[in-house]
Amino acid sequence: MTSLGDRILGLGLLVLAVAYGWAAQQWPEPFGGAEAVGPDTFPTILAVVLVAGSLYLMIKPDPDARWPLGKSALELVVSLVVLVVYALLLEPLGFVIATTLAVGTLSWRMGAAPQRAFLTGLVSAVVVFVLFNYGLSLSLPAGLLEVN
Amino acid sequence: METLGFLMEGFAVALTPYNLMFALFGAFVGTLIGCLPGLGPANGVAILIPLAFTLGLPPETAMILLTSVYAGAMYGGRISSILLNIPGDEPAMMTCLDGYPMAQKGRAADALAVSAIASFTGGLIGTIGLIMLAPVLARFALTFGPAEYFALFLLAFATLGGITGKNPMKTVIAATLGIMVATVGIDISTGTQRYTFGVLELYEGIDFILAIVGLFAISELLFFVESRLGKGRKSVQIGKLTLTPKELISTVPTQLRGGVLGFIAGVLPGAGASLGSFISYTLEKQILGRKARFGEGDIRGVVAPEAGNNGASSGALVPMLTLGVPGSGTTAVLLAMLISLNITPGPLMFTQNADIVWGVIAALLVGNVLLLLLNIPLVGFFVRLLSIPPMYLLPIVTMVAFVGIYSISHSTFDLYFMVAFGVAGYLLRKLEIPLVPIILGMLLGPEMEKNLGHALVLSDGDWSVLWSSPLSITLWGIAALGLALPYLVGPLLRRRMNAAMKESPVSD
Repeated sequence: MTSLGDRILGLGLLVLAVAYGWAAQQWPEPFGGAEAVGPDTFPTILAVVLVAGSLYLMIKPDPDARWPLGKSALELVVSLVVLVVYALLLEPLGFVIATTLAVGTLSWRMGAAPQRAFLTGLVSAVVVFVLFNYGLSLSLPAGLLEVN
Repeated sequence: METLGFLMEGFAVALTPYNLMFALFGAFVGTLIGCLPGLGPANGVAILIPLAFTLGLPPETAMILLTSVYAGAMYGGRISSILLNIPGDEPAMMTCLDGYPMAQKGRAADALAVSAIASFTGGLIGTIGLIMLAPVLARFALTFGPAEYFALFLLAFATLGGITGKNPMKTVIAATLGIMVATVGIDISTGTQRYTFGVLELYEGIDFILAIVGLFAISELLFFVESRLGKGRKSVQIGKLTLTPKELISTVPTQLRGGVLGFIAGVLPGAGASLGSFISYTLEKQILGRKARFGEGDIRGVVAPEAGNNGASSGALVPMLTLGVPGSGTTAVLLAMLISLNITPGPLMFTQNADIVWGVIAALLVGNVLLLLLNIPLVGFFVRLLSIPPMYLLPIVTMVAFVGIYSISHSTFDLYFMVAFGVAGYLLRKLEIPLVPIILGMLLGPEMEKNLGHALVLSDGDWSVLWSSPLSITLWGIAALGLALPYLVGPLLRRRMNAAMKESPVSD
C-alpha cells in the first residue's frame, strides 16, 4: 500500500492555500479605512487552516484508494466527454435530440443494449420535454425541432 | 399550550389541498429515492431543489415538498435492504442484518410491512420530540451573540465527521474548502471583489445549488460507471403477508425504544441516523438477549433499526431548524433550500416565519401518515421499480439534474460548472475527503464570516471575545472533543459496527 494519493492532494492543497492566502493580501484597503475585520481577515484564517491540513496530509497520509486503470478509466473519460458535449449541444440541437444522444450513450456505456439504451433516452427526453414545456410551462430549448 | 396553538396553525398550512398534494408527491418520490440504490436522500433532495425553484413554489410548499421527500427516503431505504441486501441509503445498513434473512425465509412481505410500521412509530416519536424540544432550544438560542454563533459553527464542522468518522483532519480540510468556495464573489460588507478573476459570472459568488447537485449527482454517476454495477442485482420474491397482530404487538416495546434512542442520536451533533439505527439495534439485542435470534431474521431486528433511523431523521431537524446548523448531509441540503428562499434559518425563524416552521413540522406528521398508507399497499409497485437497473436509471437522473440546473438560469455556463464540481466530487470521494462538510462550508461560510465580523466590531478588535463567555467556551470545548473523539473511541465503535455486519451469516 502506498499513499501517494494523499501526498499529491496535500501538495495541491498547499499550493492552493498559499495562493489563496497571498491573493487575499493583495486587495486594496477598503474605502473608509481598515476595520478590525477586513475582507482579507477571514480568507487569511482559512489559508492558515488549509496549510496546516495539507501539511498533515503529507506527513500522515492514508493508504491509497484503488484508482481506475485501463478500461474503467477510459469509460470515465467517455462519460465526462458525453456530459460536456451534452451541455454544449443542448441549445443548438434542442433538448430532445441532445438528451436522446446523451442518455442513450451513457446507458449504453453502462452496459445496456444499444437499441434499448437509445430508446430509453428518447422516451425519457420526450416525457421530460412535454412535462416541462406543457405541464409546468418552463421552456426547454427545442433546437432543430422548433416549429414556427 | 402555546406550542399546541402554533401546531394547529401549522396544520392549517399543511392540510390545504395544494400543500397536501405536494406532501403526497414528496412522500412518493422520497420513498422511490430511498429505495433505489445509487440515489441517496441527500442526492435526491438536491436534485429536486432546482425544480422546486423553477416551479415558483411558495416557500412553505417548497419546504413541505422537500421534508416529505426527506422523510420518505428514510422509509424507502429499507426496501432494498430487505430484498437485495444492499442498503438503499446509509442508515438502512442495519436493516439488512435481519431483513434479508427474513426475506430469504420467505417472509419478505412481513419484513416490509413491519418495517413500515416501525418507521411510522419512529417518525412519530421523533416528530413529537421535535415539537417539544425545538421551541425550547430556539428560545435558548436567542441568547446567543455573534461570538457564540461563531463557536457554534465551528462545533458543527468539528462534529460533522461523526464519532465514527475515519480521519477528522479530512473533515477539517473539506470544511475549509467549502468555506473558501463561499468567499468567492463580492464581499458583502466592503464591496471588495474576492477571487472573481474578472469573470462576470463569479461576481455574485458560486451558486451552492449547482455545486451540490454536481458534487452529489454527477459524482454518483461517475462512481457507477467506474464500478460497472450497471446491471443491478436479483431481488428476492416477496411472498404472502403472514404477519399476525400478536406478533406485531410483541414488537411495540422495541418500536418505542428504537424511536426514542434514534431521536436522541439525531439531535446530538456528530451522531446522525446511521448511528441512531446502530445504537437501537445493538441495545435491543442486549435487552432481549437470548430470547431473540438476532441476525437470523428476527422480526425485532428489523423493527429496531427502522424505528431508530426514522426517529433520528426527525431529530436531525432540531438543530437545523432552531440553530440553522444541520448535522447531516440531507439536512444540509434542506438548509440550502431555506437559504435560497431568503429565509434566515435560526431561532428567529420561529417568530418571523412561524407559518413555515410549523407548516413543515405539521407536514412531517401528515407525511408520516401518508407514508404509512403509501408503503403498505404500494410496496409491490416500489419493488417493481427497484428492478430498474442503474444503467437506465442513473443517466436519467443525471439528465434531470441537468434540466433542473439549466432551468434556473438558462445558461450553459452553469452546466459546465456543475460537471466540474462533479469531477471534483469524484476525485475527493476517491481520496476519502467527505463531501458533506464542503457543502456545509459553502452554506455556513458567509454566516460565519459575518458573525466573526460582528463579534470583533463589538469588542473593538479584541480577538479574545470569541472565547470569553461560558457558553462559547463550552461550545469550543465540545468542538475540540468532536475532533478528538474519533481518534479515541472511533476505531472501537467502527470495529463493533463492522463486527455486527459480519455476524450476519448471509451477508456477502
